[in-house]
Amino acid sequence: MKNIYRPIEAAIENIIVESPTIKTFVLRLKNDFEFKTGQFIELTLPGIGETPFTPSSDPSVKDKIDITIMNVGRVTSSLHAVSKNTVVGIRGPYGKGYPLDKFQDKDILIVGGGVGLAPLRSLLFTLFGQIDKYNKVVLRYGARTPDDIIYKESIPKWAKIKKVDVVTTVDVGDAKWKGNVGLVTTILKDLPVDLKKAVSVVCGPPIMMKFVTLKLLDLGFKPQDIYLSMEKNMSCGLGKCGHCRIGRFYVCKDGPVFTYEQLKDIHDIWD
Amino acid sequence: MNNIYYIESTQLNSFFKRLKKNYKVFSPVIKDPNIPEPDYYYKVLPEGEPLIFNAYRCVEPLKSFFTQTYEKITDYFTSDKNITRVAEKTIVWGVKNCDLVAHKVQDFVFLEGVEVDSLYKIRRENTILISSDCTDFKEVCHCLAWDILPHPTAGFDLNLSPLNDGYLVEIGSKKGEELIQKYTEYFVPAKDAQISGRQIKRESLMERLKRHLLPQNLVSKDTVQRLVKQGYALDTWRQFMLTCVECGGCNLICDTCHCFLLADIEEDQKNVKVRFWDSCQYANFARVAGGANPLKTRTQRLRNRFMKKFDFFVDNLGMPACCGCGRCIEVCPGKIDIREVLKDLAKKLNIKV
Repeated sequence: MKNIYRPIEAAIENIIVESPTIKTFVLRLKNDFEFKTGQFIELTLPGIGETPFTPSSDPSVKDKIDITIMNVGRVTSSLHAVSKNTVVGIRGPYGKGYPLDKFQDKDILIVGGGVGLAPLRSLLFTLFGQIDKYNKVVLRYGARTPDDIIYKESIPKWAKIKKVDVVTTVDVGDAKWKGNVGLVTTILKDLPVDLKKAVSVVCGPPIMMKFVTLKLLDLGFKPQDIYLSMEKNMSCGLGKCGHCRIGRFYVCKDGPVFTYEQLKDIHDIWD
Repeated sequence: MNNIYYIESTQLNSFFKRLKKNYKVFSPVIKDPNIPEPDYYYKVLPEGEPLIFNAYRCVEPLKSFFTQTYEKITDYFTSDKNITRVAEKTIVWGVKNCDLVAHKVQDFVFLEGVEVDSLYKIRRENTILISSDCTDFKEVCHCLAWDILPHPTAGFDLNLSPLNDGYLVEIGSKKGEELIQKYTEYFVPAKDAQISGRQIKRESLMERLKRHLLPQNLVSKDTVQRLVKQGYALDTWRQFMLTCVECGGCNLICDTCHCFLLADIEEDQKNVKVRFWDSCQYANFARVAGGANPLKTRTQRLRNRFMKKFDFFVDNLGMPACCGCGRCIEVCPGKIDIREVLKDLAKKLNIKV
């Protein structure tokens, strides 16, 4: 019988420095590993601990996955200290991921904040790979400072893909920054989307998700058309350990992607 | 075919001794019989020590036979067959109905959902539950308030009901039936008069328990979800929190609480994953790496315990995750009483219990 807590082996093939606090780890897997965009995995750093992450890579690649990680806690600081070829473990994939069938023929507004662009990059790769299925992809991304922007070289390239529209902003600029300055909500004006056939996908820190959601509602998005990636303390990933409960849901098995419609009557969802 | 048998007390002891040869049998021992409401604990009895009958549930929750406070749960990267499964053939003797009902919650968590917990499953399969009717109750016992009876009706393999100089033995499962067949010489089919006798004893205990519970005016299972939902913003949680010392005892001793945490440690120069019981009363229970913590305060955490039991499980399993065993009341150094918290919500909301 399968032991659901046992990780499979992977090795860190490459480490890309994205920002002063964020690195992307390219993991080469011993066996092929399939996930749907938006699903998450549990990454074990042997002897140190296990943490949930949503891969930031294209799900059509089966032998490698990218995980973009911000140095914020005990396990992530240890991860930031490891070198190439370190052996790690992976469990998953867990959760439901993005409902791509509901995005078909739609204007898809994607709003990211900080390292929240990581899971969205996996979604973007998926959408780009079958762009004819969608009407339009509109990305709005905000970071704290120009240094904190991740995937710096990729973002301008994405903007050149047909049917894709990209605007970025930073909370605080610097001498070299020529772009928008302001919170991500300030670039949600005059969106090139048709509300009658638009969906929105939001991922970022809780406070950003809260204000973006309020803004989107204000703009006329329906609660069932706002998809939110919830971050909770998922330990098992399987709906058993009890840590990630919100209301009647477990984020790990019922999410991590929820519509605002599912969450709007639950207390304290942004805490 | 009749599925109720009779066994004499002396024969029950012989049956018990025979079982001990083939199984690891945990049965109740009494710590201090001379105090009021003595505690029973599960123990593997040494050779020759007599079997005793427990009038009510043991101190330890039944879940402790299927998950452990701390245990190694997996190696890294190895194949399934390399993992030694710790699941001896076990009998738990003297289980009460509250624990059998609570076990629906544990089974739901570990055997259902997206994946089956194989270690739990193997332990469950290798364990025989020999339950028995309650013949007395503790002050904290309040099963009947949740419409849970003080005698088992389902979920057991064999159930014992004391009667005169022996016991009625009811078969509750295939495993139970196989035991009776294997040791058939000890059992005779129960007579109708004996079954009526069992009913009279059961009703008499229920009457006593009702007389104990009615004046307490406890919350019913049909009201409880409404209470915790509507009472979310009430001051009740803060008031009862004041004496909480965050020991986690209420969760750890609870037979429905199932939360655990996985951790990675080095053991004998090998990295392994361990699992230990966790408590939502601990400050870090819901904290994430960035520092956000949806259960920052003791007030939020006390409320979380009630929302999980009386809202989440009612929605997801169709039953509240409380069996009225009262263990959490006995264990709490802050004297936080689950009955009183719910009654306070009802009082403040002016809702009839």
